[in-house]
Amino acid sequence: MFTAAAESFLRQAREIQEEELRRFTARVSALLQGPEAGPEAVDGLQRLHLSVAATKYPRKLDGKFVEQLQTVLCSPKSPEQIQVLCAAILREMSPCNDLVLSCDEIQDTKLLSLVSSVLLAQGSRGEVAAVGQRVVQGLERRLPEGQSARFLLPVLANVISLSPGSLTEEQTNVVSKKLADWLRYASIQQGMAQPSGGFFSSPRTKQPAPITEVDGAVATDFFTVLSVAQHYTQDQWLNVQAFSMLRNWLLCYGGKELDTLNPGPLKKEDGDLQKACLIEAVTIMDIICKQDSSYVCRAVSCLKILHSRICGDATYARALLPIAQFFLNHSKQAAVDSDAIYKHLFSDIPALLFHNPSLAFEFVQFCKDNSQLFTDASSIFRQSFPNLFKFLAWNSPALISEFVDLLPFLLDPGTAIEIFHLLLDLPCLTAALDIQLRAAALPASEKAGADPAGKPATCLEAFHHPLYRSMFQYLLRSRAAPEDAPDSLVPLRQLLGSLAGSPRVVQCAETVPVLLELFFRVVAEFADGSLINQLVVLLLQRSDQLYEIPAFKEDVYRVLGSNLAMLCGLRPALVVELSTEILEFSGAVSNIQSKEAIFTHMAWAVGEFLSVSHDKRCTVEQITRFFETLEAVLFEITQLRPQASTPSCAPRAISVLMATLTKLAARSQDLIPRVSMFLSKMRTFVQSPAVTSVYCEEDLEEILIRATELMNLLKMPSVAQFVFTPPVASTRFQKEVNDSLPLALRMVTQLLEPAAGSMPV
Amino acid sequence: MVRAFVLLAPGGPAPCRVLYARTFGTPPGAGPGGPRQRLRRKEQLLVVARQVASQCQLLQASLGRPSSPQLPQLPDEPVSLQDAPGGVFQMSPGDPFPERVTVVWLSVLALAFALVCEPQENLSLAEITLRRLAPRLLLSLRLLGPGADVLLRPDAADGLLDRLLPHGQMLFLNERFLQAMDRELGLKVSR
Repeated sequence: MFTAAAESFLRQAREIQEEELRRFTARVSALLQGPEAGPEAVDGLQRLHLSVAATKYPRKLDGKFVEQLQTVLCSPKSPEQIQVLCAAILREMSPCNDLVLSCDEIQDTKLLSLVSSVLLAQGSRGEVAAVGQRVVQGLERRLPEGQSARFLLPVLANVISLSPGSLTEEQTNVVSKKLADWLRYASIQQGMAQPSGGFFSSPRTKQPAPITEVDGAVATDFFTVLSVAQHYTQDQWLNVQAFSMLRNWLLCYGGKELDTLNPGPLKKEDGDLQKACLIEAVTIMDIICKQDSSYVCRAVSCLKILHSRICGDATYARALLPIAQFFLNHSKQAAVDSDAIYKHLFSDIPALLFHNPSLAFEFVQFCKDNSQLFTDASSIFRQSFPNLFKFLAWNSPALISEFVDLLPFLLDPGTAIEIFHLLLDLPCLTAALDIQLRAAALPASEKAGADPAGKPATCLEAFHHPLYRSMFQYLLRSRAAPEDAPDSLVPLRQLLGSLAGSPRVVQCAETVPVLLELFFRVVAEFADGSLINQLVVLLLQRSDQLYEIPAFKEDVYRVLGSNLAMLCGLRPALVVELSTEILEFSGAVSNIQSKEAIFTHMAWAVGEFLSVSHDKRCTVEQITRFFETLEAVLFEITQLRPQASTPSCAPRAISVLMATLTKLAARSQDLIPRVSMFLSKMRTFVQSPAVTSVYCEEDLEEILIRATELMNLLKMPSVAQFVFTPPVASTRFQKEVNDSLPLALRMVTQLLEPAAGSMPV
Repeated sequence: MVRAFVLLAPGGPAPCRVLYARTFGTPPGAGPGGPRQRLRRKEQLLVVARQVASQCQLLQASLGRPSSPQLPQLPDEPVSLQDAPGGVFQMSPGDPFPERVTVVWLSVLALAFALVCEPQENLSLAEITLRRLAPRLLLSLRLLGPGADVLLRPDAADGLLDRLLPHGQMLFLNERFLQAMDRELGLKVSR
């Protein structure tokens, strides 16, 4: 935690002035020059490190001092702690111009590792290559007495990771052979305990005892990372190091000598590490088989056995992923049917382990890495999308960006509708998963549930209750089931309302708008007329059926509204085809208040697209019907003396309604007198005392200006018609049209009233 | 390989602070040289820390835990890592590292530990490595005490990293190996 002391030290370190730092550096330099660099020198170096590290902008240290640090680092007489601190300071300052450091002369492998850490921090290909050369040299030759190659392997691993081309082919082969040796032939005798020293301790050495496997049986086979000993020999350490770096080594280089690696027997102890080893071994096998396909058959049979052993054990679930990946990569070649493996993975695992954040992440990564699997609509992968969304529902903050990448692969004409519903109900899914977990944790006696004839008192009781069971089951389904959707999930949503405030549910709800926006963007690319119509109808329906979280609903309405306009732009004819649904929605005055975003965009779309130029089937009767419906709504919300029941609504809605009515009137000119009269009443409206207390002055002014402009436009009906009937090919979105409309209106206004200088613009 | 290790105080209402950070080598040719390279490194680590802090706070909220947990009474009291929350997330290429990275993190009381891994790294091993680093760092640097060891003793942290994560190489060390290593370091870690 960030303590007060730490705060104070950090501030001091940041504020230290150049002069003071110079003096401090000189003092430390003197201490380092002394015969024995003691605790004072250590303390000085520690503080110096903080001074250098504390600022984003580099501190300039005296060039001679930097050179001295390097000398001290490399000197065998320097105490280890001092060396470590010198290296830390040099690394912190990297990249350094004044570096004279080189690993060529260093014989001590531990020191070589330390010096390498500084050299590798410079970001210079030349330095990396030099380190690589030196390390390979160290591995090739026989090391001096007391030195261990153990410290060199991690350096090598880092070298090839930073710059894979640093070694020649010959050097690569040399190292591969050494790695193979260490992996296969590490001693199966235990190491020697260092003598504890002291005058009375027995100098007799004990017989080295054999290594045991994790379950105690004496290891007859070769040493593996799971073997247990009291003390370890150097080459056993090398075995561990070699295994640990094997995967990266194989990825950067092939390894012909490494092909006889045996993953070792499976034991039940040493839990987590064992699973990690298993995952590593499978991955390594995958890499080896990719490099040399002659191993595939052997590996396949081994992995099939492994799979059958672990597939029933939930604690091994993460290992199923690399196994599945292996089969995806190689089963075709081995002519092996691995469908059962994929089926188990996608049908069972997510439902069981959605709450495990690591598994969730790795599972979704697996899907992203193999996204081509989802293109086949009938495959188990694609059909399992309800299961995949469970990961997101439970682990929203960590997985939202992964799902933004994944969602496009799940969407097609067959899944779009179901996924639309699923996205809108994602927070409900979170709540349902919560209940599922709690229900599973109940003791058996309580699971019987309450009286089926009565109503359940809690969500938990409802889980098994006949009234709700099938709804829960649908929400928690593992596979796509477009035909099985219950008539309505409304009762379930209401029931789950008590969980709407839970943090996990709220976090999930926050991801929905992003995914919805993406959903529409992707669907717009492939949707045909029928799908677009379906979506619009559902959009309007679902606007009444959302999980009751106010912020969630607001955001969803915003996304639905703008995308409604987009869909209408893609297929203007839908305004005519879906006139019943649209009239019903637009005629409900409550919608203008509770779902303003959707209402406004709907009204705009009607004004924009209900015309014969967009659809020949558009009749005068239809225009009139829409006109009357919207007129009634506008009338309701612009009463001079609003009653308590009159909905207040955003001024934008009033403007859009006025504009829409005007547009419709321009197309059916019998309506013009009605609109004109209405618009002329707006002056009285905005001046009415009851209204001025509800809306602010700027908004009312804007409404009045708009009303006046529209009235003026209607005085020239043919112009109005021209302005309000954009070319059919237009797919511009609302913003563009709205931008050009006021301009057009103002031009016309100025034409009509050239002397009206008092009109505010 | 692990590209970097970060030890941070996630804060809560307070801003998040990087207490100790270590990168394991700088990929050559990846961007500006000179002081800008150093600045970029520090900013990248800060971005990681902030993201870890954010994920940590969100997870704590979803688990229903207070954002400023109670500290144990004595700084040397053994801290159980059993329920320590943690997570994994990915950072896209360019934001903030040139390549994609995966960050594995663990939160213990008012601190968080994070490993920045190359893609396709063994995440199970990364989690194990973190669970081993955390208690040893807590002990060595007296992280739960009132002092500022974490800022003033980079050598202690470096020493631990050199054993458990040398040059960013995670190690498959079983319990006995770990004990042998603890003996070498003179650490008494509760098990």
